[in-house]
Amino acid sequence: MSIIVADGLTHRFGRELALEGVDLVLDTAEHMAVLGDNGAGKTTLLRILATALRPTTGTLQIAGLNASREKRRLRHYIGYVAHAPGLYPALSAAENLRFFCNLQGVPQARVDEVLDIVGLRHVADRRASELSRGMQQRLALGRAILHDPKLLILDEPDASLGGDPAELLGGLMRGRSAILATHDQALANRLCPRTLVLRHGRSVGTATHLRVVQ
Amino acid sequence: MNPFGVALAVARKDLLSEWRTREMVPALAQFIVLALLIGNFGFQIDSRNAPSIAPGILWLVLVFAGLVAFGRTFAAEREQASLEAMLMTPASPLAIFAGKALAASGLLVVCEAVMLPALSLFFGTPFSGEVVFAVLLATIGMAALGCIFSAIVARVRARELLLPLLTLPLWIPFIVAGGQAVQSAMGLPGSYDQAIGLLIDFDILFVVLTSLAARFVLDE
Repeated sequence: MSIIVADGLTHRFGRELALEGVDLVLDTAEHMAVLGDNGAGKTTLLRILATALRPTTGTLQIAGLNASREKRRLRHYIGYVAHAPGLYPALSAAENLRFFCNLQGVPQARVDEVLDIVGLRHVADRRASELSRGMQQRLALGRAILHDPKLLILDEPDASLGGDPAELLGGLMRGRSAILATHDQALANRLCPRTLVLRHGRSVGTATHLRVVQ
Repeated sequence: MNPFGVALAVARKDLLSEWRTREMVPALAQFIVLALLIGNFGFQIDSRNAPSIAPGILWLVLVFAGLVAFGRTFAAEREQASLEAMLMTPASPLAIFAGKALAASGLLVVCEAVMLPALSLFFGTPFSGEVVFAVLLATIGMAALGCIFSAIVARVRARELLLPLLTLPLWIPFIVAGGQAVQSAMGLPGSYDQAIGLLIDFDILFVVLTSLAARFVLDE
């Protein structure tokens, strides 16, 4: 069964065409990488898929629901990690997650579990502003899985993650559908059986192995 | 999900952040004291003219302090890219907006707790419950309007310029009714009850309107 069915997604920022006619189908528990140069439209596509941005034209169905009309209902399904971690610098790592538990309607007990998953238990009481960039990114990943979403949308989550990003990201993506935008083709190959390549806002095509599209 | 719980969580988060960073309240409190001091030196204040001059100074200072306080509510969220994270949750945008407005009002009330005794000290005007009540009533409507415009302008570059241009015209009813209430509380002619009634009407009107607008402003 397909969790995402996107048809002709197009987005304009004013006169600027950021994304043009992208079609995409993602099956349940399938992982797909999105590759492309800077400005290729990866972030725009991911923001649309995360329902953070409405496409100018085109249709998007997530879990059988129309993403434009039912986006609030879909928020339970989606865990999204944006380009910037978007944390509250004055709050500790645990407080950041506790705050989002309140917004997600998730029990506070989930915070400790998530801190263990992303390996931040030892810095739970440290303010987000005092965490390294990699730790902040881990915390943002933790926030994205707080409500145990079925679909993960990750925009360059490997940036400054440190260590072996594939191990952490692979663990988070296991059992979930996931779309991962990255510049790291090796990481994309390791984590995602399928790859979508964007160039100047257009889909160059999808492939089951990166070398095919290179 | 309980919208009241969400609003309280958002307000608590904002107040805790301010408590830890002390970014705004100390600076605003200093601004208030300095503005009152300048007002005190700028006018020839005596016991006869103080009740007519002090309310004007009070509302002028409150308006500028409010612009700073409400201007930061959504600007900070945009700068640290946390607003999108908040809006990506199933929480209602109205509850998020209410929480932000509640926290900003709380910070302004703290500033008012500095301003009203200082006004009494510098101008020798009475520090009464009636004055406090009028200022608090005005704060509710001003906070609702200030926060909605703060959310609207947060995504544009010239937000510091745009916020006063959008907000000040709609704050005028609060300044007029609030000014009248404070003047009559300080012993000048005029109906205090009528002015308070107007403030309550304006509060209801603008809280309802901004609540209706919040969903569209935050969602898109």
